[in-house]
Amino acid sequence: MALVVELRGEKYMKKVLVVDDALFMRVSIKKTLIEHDFEVVGEAVNGFDAIEKYKELRPDIVTMDITMPELTGIDALKAIMEFDANAKIVMITALGQEEMVRQAIVLGAKSFIVKPFKEEQIVSTLNKFA
Amino acid sequence: MKEGYRVSEQYTEEPLVDVFVFEISQQIEQLEKLILTNEEESCYSEDSLNGIFRIMHTIKGSSAMMAYNSISSLAHAMEDLFSYLRENKSENVDCEVLSDLILECIDFMKIEVEKIKNGDQLDGECHSLHERISCFLKCLKNGDSVLDISAYKIIIHFEEDCEMENMRAYSLIHNVSRMANEIHYSPENIESGENSIELIRKNGFIINMKTEAKYEEVNEFFYHSDFIKEFTIDQVSDDKEIESLLSIPETADREVSDICRKEEKTSENKEDHSTSMQQNIISVGVGKLDKLMDLMGELVIAEEMVIQNSDLRNLVLDNFPKAARQLRKITAEMQDMVMSIRMVPLSATFHKMHRLVRDMSKKLSKEINLEIIGEETEVDKKIIEYISDPLMHLVRNAVDHGFECPDEREFEGKNRIGTLTLEAKNTGGDVLIIIKDDGKGLNKSKILEKAKISGLLNKPEEEMLDKEIYNLVFLPGFSTKEDVSEFSGRGVGMDVVTKNIEMVGGTISLVSIENEGTTITLKIPLTLAIIDGMNIKVGNSYYTFPTVLVKEFFKARQQDVIADPDNNEMIMVRGRCYPIIRLYEYYGVENAKTNFDEGIIIMLERDEQIICIFVDELLGQQQVVVKVLPEYIRKLKKIKGLTGCTLLGDGNISLILDITGLISD
Repeated sequence: MALVVELRGEKYMKKVLVVDDALFMRVSIKKTLIEHDFEVVGEAVNGFDAIEKYKELRPDIVTMDITMPELTGIDALKAIMEFDANAKIVMITALGQEEMVRQAIVLGAKSFIVKPFKEEQIVSTLNKFA
Repeated sequence: MKEGYRVSEQYTEEPLVDVFVFEISQQIEQLEKLILTNEEESCYSEDSLNGIFRIMHTIKGSSAMMAYNSISSLAHAMEDLFSYLRENKSENVDCEVLSDLILECIDFMKIEVEKIKNGDQLDGECHSLHERISCFLKCLKNGDSVLDISAYKIIIHFEEDCEMENMRAYSLIHNVSRMANEIHYSPENIESGENSIELIRKNGFIINMKTEAKYEEVNEFFYHSDFIKEFTIDQVSDDKEIESLLSIPETADREVSDICRKEEKTSENKEDHSTSMQQNIISVGVGKLDKLMDLMGELVIAEEMVIQNSDLRNLVLDNFPKAARQLRKITAEMQDMVMSIRMVPLSATFHKMHRLVRDMSKKLSKEINLEIIGEETEVDKKIIEYISDPLMHLVRNAVDHGFECPDEREFEGKNRIGTLTLEAKNTGGDVLIIIKDDGKGLNKSKILEKAKISGLLNKPEEEMLDKEIYNLVFLPGFSTKEDVSEFSGRGVGMDVVTKNIEMVGGTISLVSIENEGTTITLKIPLTLAIIDGMNIKVGNSYYTFPTVLVKEFFKARQQDVIADPDNNEMIMVRGRCYPIIRLYEYYGVENAKTNFDEGIIIMLERDEQIICIFVDELLGQQQVVVKVLPEYIRKLKKIKGLTGCTLLGDGNISLILDITGLISD
C-alpha cells in the first residue's frame, strides 16, 4: 500500500461520487474510501440522480453500480461521458454481467470492480485513475 | 521449454490429449487435402490460403495450450507465411516449393502427434524447417518496404481474485488499441468464453501488437492499468520477428478499429451458429463404441436365451410369442443402429493415398493420376483400421512396380500420365475395394520363375491357371523386384496384406493383363461381430455359417453321389458336379448320421466356388455374435475351416465355419 501512504501525505483529497441503489453498498464503499483518505462528496441512488450529482459536484472519480432502478449505470455512464469526456468512472458489477461490463468499457468506463470486492481493490483502483 | 513439459505432464492423464490428437489429426488431414488439390491447380486460391491459414492458426493455438511447443511454433511460422501470402496476394509464388515445404511441416507434425499418442517426449527438431519458412517468407517480401514500427509481446497476469479477467483483458485491448496499428491477443474469446478466464489465470493474457509507440509509452500504459499483478513487455524490432509475433488468425487481418466496432452483433450471431452446428455431431471414443458393440452382442445372446429357453418348451403360451417378437424387432433395429454408428466412410483412407501417390511419383519421376470412386462407401471402423495399411501397401506397389516411366509409356502408345483408380462399392454383405492401374501388368513367366526359386510352387507350371499364378504374389516371401526401394519391395508386404485382409474375413484377388494393367480386388465384409448365421447340428456338435452364403438345401439320395478317382465324393445337381464334404468326417464327430438319406446337404457359395456340406440337421437361422476362438486353443492347434465361435440361445457353443477354408481344402 505504498501508494496509499504516499497519498496520505498530500493535502488534497480526491473527491468521489458513490452511485448505488443499495444503502448497504453505499455505506460500505463510503466507509472504505474515507478510511483511505478520499472525500466522498456525494451519493446517488439511480442513474438520473448520478448524472445530476455529477454535473453539480464535479467529482474526481465516480463509482457506479450497474443495476439500478429508473436509469441503469450504463445509461448514466453514457450521459456523463457525453457531458464530460474526461470523467473518470469505475463500474461496480456483479459476476455474470460481462455484457454490461463490455458495454461500459466501450463507453469509456475506466475500470470495473467485481462484487464482492476487497477494500484494497477499490482503493487501488480509485488511486490509479483519480 | 521446461515449463512446457510441466504442463504437458499435468495434462497427460486428461482426455484432453485425446481430443487434441483427434482434432489435430483431422486438421492435418484436411490440410494435406487442401494442399494437394491446390498443387494440382498449381496455384493457391484465396479460399484455400484462408483455409490453410485458419487451420494453422487453430493448430498453433491448441498445441500451445497443450504446451507442445515444437508443433505450435512451427504452426506459428506457417501461419505467418500464409498470413503474408493472403494479405499480399503475391503473384510469383513458387507453388511447388511452397507445397513441399508445407508438406514437410505437416510430416513433422504427424510424427510429433504420433509421439503424443504413444506418450513419448516430443523431441523433434524443426530448426531447419523454421529457417526454410522464414527464408521463403523473406524471398517473398523482397522489395516490400520495411515498416518503421516495432512490435511488442506483452504478457499480463491479473491480480488474483480480481474476477472477470476476460473483461479486464477486453478493457485493456479496448484502450491499448488506440495506440496500436495492429493487435492480436490470446486467448481470443475474451468476450464470450468462460474458459478464457481460466486461460488467462493460468497462462496470462498475451498481447502481440505493432505500434509506433515507444517502449516507455507501452510500459506506461500497462503500469497505469489496474488489477494487473505483473506484466512483461518484449520488444521486437527485427522485421522477421515482428511478422512472426504478429499473427493470431481471425484477428490477424482485422484492423484495430474493428475491435471497437465489435459491439455489432455479427460476432455473436456467428458464435450461436457454430455452437448449434457442434451440437449436431458429437465425437465418441472408439472404446465406448466397441463396448457398446460387445453389449449389443451380449444382448442378442441373452435374447436368444430367453426366447429359446428350454423351460418354455411344451408350454402353451398365449402372449409370450408376441412379446418375444416385439423384443426381437427392437433388438434388431437397435443392432442396425449400433452398427451404423460404427460405420465410417472410406474417404479419409482413400484420400491419404493422394499424398502417397504424389510423393512417390515425384521421387520416381513418374506421372500418375489418382482417381477415386465411391469414397462415400461406409465400412466398420475396425475394418478400416485393418485395411488402411494393406491399401497403402498395394498403392505403393502399384506406383513403384506397376507403372512405367512416362517415356516408356509413350513408347508403348499409352498416355504419358498413368491412371491409378481406387474404387469402393457395396455388394450386399461385402464391400469391394478395387485398386486398378493401367501400368505394365504382371509378368507371368517372371512370377513363375521367382516362385520356383523360392519353392512356392505346389503343382506343375503347365497346370496352373492364370489366376493361380497371379495369386502366388500373395504368398509369404514373394517379391520380384530385385532392388529394394524406399517405398516398397522388401519382400514382406504382400503376405502381410493378405493376412490383414483375412483377419477381417476378407479376401483378395488379382487380375492382370500384360501391358494393360493390374486390378486387385479386396472383398471385405461390411461389419464384424454380428452376422446372420445358419445353425446346423452334426452329432452332438453345433456349427454356424453365414446365411448369405447358402445357395440351397436339399436331401440327396445315395445314388446321386458319385466318386472321383481320388475317392472324393461329388454330387450331380442339375447337370453340374459339386464336391461334398461330410462335416462329421472332416471334424471327426461321433454319433453323426452317415447316411445321405438321413441328413441334409447344404450348398454354399463363396467367391464363385461352390461346395456342398453334409450335416445331420438344420437348427435354423439366428443372429450370432462372432467371438474369436480363445488364444490358447489357437495356439494349441491350428483348426482348419473355423473362424470363431458363438453362443447359441440354449447356451450351447457353436463353431463358426470358414467356408473359404473348407473350399480351398
